[in-house]
Amino acid sequence: MAVSDRSTKERLLSVLDDLEVLSRELIEMLALSRTQKLPQPGEDTQILELLVQRDGEFQELMKVAVEQGKVHQEMQVLEKEVEKRDSDIQLLQKQLKEAEHILATAVYQAKEKLKSIEKARKGSISSEEIIKYAHRISASNAVCAPLNWVPGDPRRPYPTDLEMRGGMLGHMSNLPPNGVNGHLPGDALAAGRLPDVLTPQYPWQSGDVSVGMLPPHHSNDFTLEPPGHNKENEDDVEAMSTDSSSSSSDSD
Amino acid sequence: MATVPARQETEDEDCSLLPLVHDIIKCSMDKDSQEVHQELNKLKTKIQEAREQISAMPGIELSPAEQQQQLQTLREQVRTKNQLLQKYKGLCMFDIPKA
Repeated sequence: MAVSDRSTKERLLSVLDDLEVLSRELIEMLALSRTQKLPQPGEDTQILELLVQRDGEFQELMKVAVEQGKVHQEMQVLEKEVEKRDSDIQLLQKQLKEAEHILATAVYQAKEKLKSIEKARKGSISSEEIIKYAHRISASNAVCAPLNWVPGDPRRPYPTDLEMRGGMLGHMSNLPPNGVNGHLPGDALAAGRLPDVLTPQYPWQSGDVSVGMLPPHHSNDFTLEPPGHNKENEDDVEAMSTDSSSSSSDSD
Repeated sequence: MATVPARQETEDEDCSLLPLVHDIIKCSMDKDSQEVHQELNKLKTKIQEAREQISAMPGIELSPAEQQQQLQTLREQVRTKNQLLQKYKGLCMFDIPKA
């Protein structure tokens, strides 16, 4: 094994062992030299030189060991820093995962919204068209009767008798398309309020009035009333058709 | 840990065994054996203390070259992790990649 590959501790202990052995040999040799002759002249000098050399080596190694101690402290500081960075990275990673989850959810929702926007765009109706239609139905008194409307006034609240007959309900009830009590010509009615006798009566009008005014057979001509028809329903219809607070009056 | 540097400094200043060997040789030349034994015991004690100190010294389990290599590795790790953190912190998360 090369010298540089051995740890400083091993080298220090090895040199210290050498020092111990050499100093013991030197002392023993000198002790023997007092009583006997030296086995080989100059051997003590060789041991002394070796001792001095090893002692110098030992001191150098001690200096290296002290330097290594300082480096060791620096390494401990760096290790702590690495641990701190690791925990920071882990924390950041966790936060990024959370952010990814939130963003993935948001992207999914946004895609869904885009899909619905695209769907709406494909079947789009222009707002102008809707507004025009709203104007049309409100201008023709289709959703609300005029304030001064009376029965017989051709400025109709929907539906008219003819329209009722022509509609689905009329077909289902097998009513003739031209009612006995259809509308009178608009010009005549538009000129002014009709006398009560000529005023047409409709089955959805108040029963008290119509029954009293019409001949008996008329009450059997109009069978549009559903089985559950009663006074309450009549009131509702009337209230809806003569509502003065709807958009029709505003648009006029 | 605080006592270790103080011991190291003491060792650094007074780690040579030659003065003790010199004292022993000097005593053995001109004094009685009692004093020589004392000096010999001093040398033995000094060597034993040196062994204990060497065992307690931190960071000498490696050769200087290996230790320097580890130090460089650690420095490199800290540098890389710092760069990584800076990169993550500096990321503009709302940049839309262009197709």
